[in-house]
Amino acid sequence: MYGLVVVGFSAGGIEPMRSLLAALRADYPLPVAAVAHLPPGSGAGFTALFASAGALPTAFAVDKEAIRPGRACFAPADYHLLIENGERFALSVDQPVNFVRPSIDVLFESAAEVYGKRLIALTLSGASSDGAKGMAAVRKRGGMTIALAPDECVRSSLTDAVLKLVDVDYCVGIDEIIALLQGVR
Amino acid sequence: MSARDLEDIEAELLLLALRERYGYDFAGYARASLIRRLRQMVEFFAVADLADLLPIVLRNERVAQAVINFVSVPVSEFFRDPPVWGYVREHLIPALESFPRINVWQIGCGHGQETYSVAILLRECGLAHKARMITTDINADLLATAKRGRWPAEQFGQWRANYLAAGGTTDFDDYFEHTGDEVSIRADRLQPIEFVEHNLVTDDAFLETQFIVCRNVLIYFGDALQARALGVFGRSLERGGYLLLGTAESILDGDPAWSTVQPELRVFRRTTAPAVTCTGW
Repeated sequence: MYGLVVVGFSAGGIEPMRSLLAALRADYPLPVAAVAHLPPGSGAGFTALFASAGALPTAFAVDKEAIRPGRACFAPADYHLLIENGERFALSVDQPVNFVRPSIDVLFESAAEVYGKRLIALTLSGASSDGAKGMAAVRKRGGMTIALAPDECVRSSLTDAVLKLVDVDYCVGIDEIIALLQGVR
Repeated sequence: MSARDLEDIEAELLLLALRERYGYDFAGYARASLIRRLRQMVEFFAVADLADLLPIVLRNERVAQAVINFVSVPVSEFFRDPPVWGYVREHLIPALESFPRINVWQIGCGHGQETYSVAILLRECGLAHKARMITTDINADLLATAKRGRWPAEQFGQWRANYLAAGGTTDFDDYFEHTGDEVSIRADRLQPIEFVEHNLVTDDAFLETQFIVCRNVLIYFGDALQARALGVFGRSLERGGYLLLGTAESILDGDPAWSTVQPELRVFRRTTAPAVTCTGW
């Protein structure tokens, strides 16, 4: 019944994201879209960070590309990633939101509008509040909201901001998050 | 009826007003970004809903122009994506020299940063004297702003770093005058640039070109409009001419009118296949 998993993180989020993609494996049935705050100019080396045997492969999203399972698509450096009607990716170079581009809020809000209840939104470790409004938008439209527990975050500003704004469905450790995502279809 | 449905209708009405009253058609634009921009207008004008903007937009041309500017302006910087411009300097511009005439068309001038980036490259590669440079935008306001060539200085350090990373060969600062918090381009250092109104939604190719630069414009277009724009590029480019798109944009595989020159940097070349003739819009 779920159609898409969106993930957002910044500082300290690479490790839990690696664990997640390694555990979901390449045959995970749901598409995954992610925003990480990364410096402009970050290239192919960034997605390679997440590569490991059997893990869900990663790529940068391409404009108007169909959203499909079998890989996790990241926002390219210095572009916002949005979800377009018809379940496709879209990119923009509009002004930074919350001082960042890509912004987690932009992805989550647009995904919530297209997927509604069929969306799972996940925030990991992060050093800013970007992502909190996005989680609120997902929650409002009936999607599932999951935040990584603060004691497992290298930087917990993101989780703190989310918990302040949203009554999330789950605020748990990475192992439980993996179990949750493996359990949904 | 849900709030979402209402917002959709309000957006539709506003776009209809812009089209029927002022001739700007945004219907073919990609939805998600367009809606985000319209919502920012609601905040900017401190109104409750998009519908509140409708009567003002219909009757007040200046407000309408502000909305059009807001919806249509692409954000850019000097030498955004330095590896792309490094490639243009090293490979594309030298390749252009083999054409007897060189018309360079930069589409979507924004506030001019990318336009002048191209002009700087042409100068430093010694092509300024034989290349004609045209920049277009749908928006006369933006063309005037770009022509003025004046920007807040806050990003200047980043622009200089981009220029150097892209292989810049002289002192970037020599192209600018600093006054207070602003920098302005010293147009006398560059070749003349023609600023022309042109709309990819309604207008066709208007001159034969050898190099088209259109970066981060197509991402704002829906499928049909993207296809139309590529048709315009194909009819404008001389066979063997080059097209440079934004790093996240692409041409569908298998379009016989185009061959890929450099896939990561989105450099394409017009083949000898006939251009699509149907304007289909």
